[in-house]
Amino acid sequence: MKSRITKLLISSFTTLLLPMQSIKADDISSKTINILMPAPFADSTSYLINEYNTKHKNHKKIKVTRGPLETEAMSDLAISSLLLGNSPYDIVLIDVTWLPKYAKAQWISDLSLWFTKEEAKALASGAKLGNYFEGKLYRWPLVADMGLLYWRKDLMDKPPKTPRELIKISKNLQEKGKVKYGYVWQGRQYEGLSCVFLEVINGFGGNWIDHKGEPNLNTKNSYKAVSWLKELITEGISPKSVTNFSEPEALQIFESGEAAFMRNWPYAWAELNKDKSKVKGKVGVTVMVAENNNLATATLGSWGFSILSSSKNKLESSTVIKYLTSSSSQNYLFKKYGYTPTNTDVLKDKVLTIKYPILSSLEKGLSVAKPRPQSPLYAQMSDILQRSLSSILTNKSSIDEEMNRANKSTKDIILSAGK
Amino acid sequence: MNYLLLTPAFLLILLVFVLPLIRYSWMSMHSISVITGLDYIPNNGSNWIRLLNDDRFWRDTIQTIRFAAFSVSIEIVLAIIIALLLSQRIKGKGILRTISLLPWALPTTIMALGWRWIFNTPYGPIDQISSLIGFGTLDILSNPDLAWIATVIGDVWKTTPFVALIILAGLQTIPSDLYEAFKMEGGSPLQSFIKITLPLLKPYILLSLVFRLAQAFGVFDLIQVMTGGGPASSTESIAIYAYLNAMRFLDFGYSATIMIASFILLITICLFTWIFYNKLKSKLSI
Amino acid sequence: MLLIWSLSPLIWQLYTSLSTPEALTRPLEINEFRWTFDNYKQIFQANPPFVRYLLNSLIVGLSSTILTLAIALPASYSLAKANNKVSKISKIILLASALFPYFLLFLALLEFAREMNFGNNLLALCIPYSALCMPLAVLLLTAAFKDLPNDLEEAARLEGLGLINRLRWILFPLIKPAIASTSILVFLFTWNEYPIALTWISKSELITLPVAIARIAGSSVYSVPYGAYAAATVVGALPLLLIVFIFQKRIVSGLTQGAIKG
Repeated sequence: MKSRITKLLISSFTTLLLPMQSIKADDISSKTINILMPAPFADSTSYLINEYNTKHKNHKKIKVTRGPLETEAMSDLAISSLLLGNSPYDIVLIDVTWLPKYAKAQWISDLSLWFTKEEAKALASGAKLGNYFEGKLYRWPLVADMGLLYWRKDLMDKPPKTPRELIKISKNLQEKGKVKYGYVWQGRQYEGLSCVFLEVINGFGGNWIDHKGEPNLNTKNSYKAVSWLKELITEGISPKSVTNFSEPEALQIFESGEAAFMRNWPYAWAELNKDKSKVKGKVGVTVMVAENNNLATATLGSWGFSILSSSKNKLESSTVIKYLTSSSSQNYLFKKYGYTPTNTDVLKDKVLTIKYPILSSLEKGLSVAKPRPQSPLYAQMSDILQRSLSSILTNKSSIDEEMNRANKSTKDIILSAGK
Repeated sequence: MNYLLLTPAFLLILLVFVLPLIRYSWMSMHSISVITGLDYIPNNGSNWIRLLNDDRFWRDTIQTIRFAAFSVSIEIVLAIIIALLLSQRIKGKGILRTISLLPWALPTTIMALGWRWIFNTPYGPIDQISSLIGFGTLDILSNPDLAWIATVIGDVWKTTPFVALIILAGLQTIPSDLYEAFKMEGGSPLQSFIKITLPLLKPYILLSLVFRLAQAFGVFDLIQVMTGGGPASSTESIAIYAYLNAMRFLDFGYSATIMIASFILLITICLFTWIFYNKLKSKLSI
Repeated sequence: MLLIWSLSPLIWQLYTSLSTPEALTRPLEINEFRWTFDNYKQIFQANPPFVRYLLNSLIVGLSSTILTLAIALPASYSLAKANNKVSKISKIILLASALFPYFLLFLALLEFAREMNFGNNLLALCIPYSALCMPLAVLLLTAAFKDLPNDLEEAARLEGLGLINRLRWILFPLIKPAIASTSILVFLFTWNEYPIALTWISKSELITLPVAIARIAGSSVYSVPYGAYAAATVVGALPLLLIVFIFQKRIVSGLTQGAIKG
């Protein structure tokens, strides 16, 4: 016993002393440009990054840290490194909804020093949104993303424009037995439901959060929007199980030819035109329905690069961002991975549009794209909304009661966070 | 001189246990969020008003209590059975003991991921077996009504050995002549269990009950890794909510409020358990 | 039954860790392409290699154990000698903190780390860890000191031995078993701890084993790479298996002592 403990003590002290130098991480931060990206982006940009590292021998090398796949887990990792101070990253790829939070906490720096107004003008109109907070530029977009309405070209001549039309066409097709369901969308209690709702409430002329930062969830237009979503379920236009759908479930049903309409992001286009898809070549893309034409919107979802305030390599970081978001990089990412370009010259490229006709629909969608409420408290607001919508759609409580409650809770959050 | 030796230990405890609670109480009376630029602004208790009106907090409280109540009671019953088995004179007791200890010694995150794989749809063994029998996929982890049961199983698996050891220690303090005497009077093994074993085990059961309740009430790693609180927040515990408020919503004032509130709730629950348990036991043993 | 209950999840992990990705999609079929060591190769060739996390955890575990003992031993000694009132109050404080669900402390500890610039420093982690283990350690060691006959120390004192020498030569050797079980329990705790390690360490070269394992789960593109992480759990669990097998008696006696005397 005695010798065992003495041995343990001695060995522990030596193990403590030996790696002393390795206890503090090697200070790589000044030798490389460190980027934190969610895993899918780290994979899709790896070719571009290799190219940069081999071409620019005298520049600092780019080192990419593969973050988690899930958006929320990725945010956790970025935030915990920022809260602790001395973040090891120079650049973080951030989601459009995080920007106000990061900017308000002063974690990311104003990019206007390195990105000129002319460069900002070259961005497509929808891609300009969601990069600014309180008038300052904090993010440069890598890829644009927006909600789109997919429709079946073989079942109708032109897509519906208003919510009423959508219901009418669906009912008609369902009665004729052409499709099992009219419209599939994302109704599970998660962020996707907030995205769906934003398009619908705007389509009915309402607002989630108004320009003064006050919630408008208990207004007449909001009521109309929720009623419409609920009607879709009660009238059998959407399956009951839509309340448990996220993107893949909706895609699965639409892909198998069982639905006339689907709300989804641009990535669905490539999936729907694969050989295994039953609707290959029969799908059209348009913007979401709205009570009148001016109200149609597409929820903006996009990822972009921000430079951390703590970075010591800001100038070089901006060069790296410019390289990764250049028109030629965007061209590559669109062709290889279907990423929606953010630069107007790629989005409107005539040669590219002839080869990939979807590009013009994407451009149209992006032109009406609208960001979700740009508040540092967005995550909580969205959570409240999702809960209320979910309990309305699953018949747990009435529209009036829930939307009033959601409106009040949103106000409470704004109050207790110290507005 | 002697008390001087005590100081470092108690200073450390003061630093890590007491100061945070004082700090949280103070924070709970301020707005400290991303909106305030992470500065401290007194807000006259609006955190507390928000807490009282916060459905999510109360739903999480109920879910946490449900988790704690189910897992702790199952653990204690199982642990008593295991302890009784282990106290028998059987071959290979040492190995048996070692093996039953394993789940407790492994990091929670490791086994939480293990369980996630076991409950995976459609490749995990549970779903595989159920489709073989013809029940189809169960999809437990994405079903809001069932997912919490999976977390209870994970917790029971991990901590039962620990409770069993404490109860085993209790069993070993019971002198065997007590049982002999009872047998002479013609008592059955079941009667002797109720009349002798249970009453004498009381302090050990109570100890593990309170300890496990407190730990289960603060459950974090297991749920964070196994379900992340989902689906649709159906497995979210108070600890997860407090974590989200701090690390994801950057609302530290509110996060601190939740922690203080859960601390108060926990003390209340422990007191109630204590009283309830004493009443129950005094009825049983006399 | 007991064996199946405790072991089957572990065996499933082992089985998964040796399976090829194709085999994983049909877990109950047996065929010739079923077995592979690739998952292990993968985690050892990853950057940083998995061994790094084991080493990190080892550093944290050993330093915390040493610090805990260094503070808990003198404290327990004096507590064992203290009068009734002091020892009773101390015992209540210690018990209360031992029962405390320590997760609640993470936010304050994170602030502490930021203020003191303790972030991303493995050795600094032993401060909260020792504090968290302190109640249990002091309770266990006090019980051990109390069991020692008083005359022994008296005799040594009359021989003219000072306090430090008495502790070093007479008392510590006598309570070695208790010291051993305490160290093992402290080590196990630090090896497994998750929330504090998660919030104090953000550099990927420095994270400890539990955090590394949780991170593997969230890092893959399409789904969790179950084969690789099963291999990681097996590698991460092996040292613990060894500890449990070697020190099984010590752990049991440590826990039971704690239960009886605490």
